[in-house]
Amino acid sequence: MTNFSLDSSPSVVLELTLRLKIRDVMTTQLITAEKKDSLRHIQQLMKVNRITGVPIVEGKRLVGLISVDDIIQALDGGFIEEACEGRMSRQLIVLEDDMPLSLGISYFEKYHFGRFPVLNKDSELVGIVSSRDILTGLLVEMNKEMEQLEEKLSPQKEVGTTIYSREFSLHKFDFEHAGTASGTIKMELKEKGLDPKTLRRVAVASYEMEMNLIVHSLGGTLKVTHMPRQTVLEARDVGPGIEDLEKALTEGWSTANDWIRSLGFGAGMGLPNIKRVSDDFHIESEVGKGTLVRSVIRHPELGGEV
Amino acid sequence: MNLQQIQTQLGCEVLAGGSLQGANIEHVCACDMMSDVLVVEKDNLLLVTSLTTEQVVRTADIVGAHGVLITNGKQPLEKAVQLAKQLNIPLLRTRLSTFEACVQIGKLLNL
Amino acid sequence: MKLSEIAEKLGWKKLGGGDSALDIGQGFTSDLLSDVMGNAPADSVFITIQAHKNTVAVASLAGLAAIVLCSNRLAPPDMLEAAKQEDIPVYQTAENQFWASYHLGRLLDLP
Repeated sequence: MTNFSLDSSPSVVLELTLRLKIRDVMTTQLITAEKKDSLRHIQQLMKVNRITGVPIVEGKRLVGLISVDDIIQALDGGFIEEACEGRMSRQLIVLEDDMPLSLGISYFEKYHFGRFPVLNKDSELVGIVSSRDILTGLLVEMNKEMEQLEEKLSPQKEVGTTIYSREFSLHKFDFEHAGTASGTIKMELKEKGLDPKTLRRVAVASYEMEMNLIVHSLGGTLKVTHMPRQTVLEARDVGPGIEDLEKALTEGWSTANDWIRSLGFGAGMGLPNIKRVSDDFHIESEVGKGTLVRSVIRHPELGGEV
Repeated sequence: MNLQQIQTQLGCEVLAGGSLQGANIEHVCACDMMSDVLVVEKDNLLLVTSLTTEQVVRTADIVGAHGVLITNGKQPLEKAVQLAKQLNIPLLRTRLSTFEACVQIGKLLNL
Repeated sequence: MKLSEIAEKLGWKKLGGGDSALDIGQGFTSDLLSDVMGNAPADSVFITIQAHKNTVAVASLAGLAAIVLCSNRLAPPDMLEAAKQEDIPVYQTAENQFWASYHLGRLLDLP
């Protein structure tokens, strides 16, 4: 049996065990039996499903548990054909589905059972968790974390190495510096030898992204990643999020007020303009959370698609 | 038509920029909304606007405009003038309204 | 010249609101609503890309005769509703502000 010790785990794993709930790792496809079922029947269930414990239920209520040890004793004692009711464990240690995983792990350390039934708030049986489930759950989650980390480190690894990358912080209503980020991007990519037509598209997209961040967002970042075959622009903000993405992508639609219009912005062309000049355009937004806009502009003369 | 002709015809004040004669103009965008300017994909462009911020110059730079004409007798902000000098974009101003400027430039274009 | 006659000659499409029998002597081209007040002549057509209900409010306050939306920009329903209430005719043209201005100026024989 696998042994866990939270004390010796690295902090990333520790963090995961606190973030994940029992319900995130438990098995929900339950193999159960009823009180009247014979121990022989349960032995078959274990064999076919390759499990070591079967919860005994009445409807959704957990009334007992038969473990592989109980079966061995039954075979030994010659009562394998009996109904399980008289032989099942009734004093059960259970877990609740919204407990943190760390608590589940400490239960395994404490009680040395192979599995624990999991109940919800209404005391209904909703799952079963073994140490194997916990390991699998942790591994899956760690994989996800690693993938995210890799994505952060090299967002477009398949199209070659980054020649130039830069991130700008932008602040709400900072008209004082509006345009300097995209101005810098344009100048520096021109120095890198980007052709004028592609440079213009990058400039339009980055400028609109920059103005969007200043006019509409609560602040955020504009990131440019220049690679041999494409340039990627990413605008990420911390809110307020877009309520209706479809409308926001409609030419002429805008939430800008008269003051913003008086500054020459807010005519409802920002996102449509970015989309127009992009080869790949991606937007995701959540109200209260923020918005991410990504524009990929390929460099045609270097073998990218037009 | 070049910027020199426009400057003479409209009596413009030149605030920044290099050779007006060398700046060939074939298309005009008279617009105060910068995103609408960014849609324009024409060479030899003149941007006519009564907006006075440096965003006007930025936008002109992005679309590769050959000049910017500020109308309604407005004085562009100092930062706009500085940026125009830095990016070498001719910046002119006229007391005419955008409408009047369009009518006169249109006549020059159609000559 | 009557507004209805101008609209017909320049191919403007009427979207809604107000009387087309007015006499027009001028145009005023702007996308900055703040510029309209105090600058636009009263008998003028407001040439703009600002398809917004506040455009109607400003046109009404400044006493303008009509609004022309350029580049085929569509008027949202609340703009047309406001135009109806304020009795301001709203037109649409495929031309941009520059060409719409030039053609109106030439039609009215303005300098």
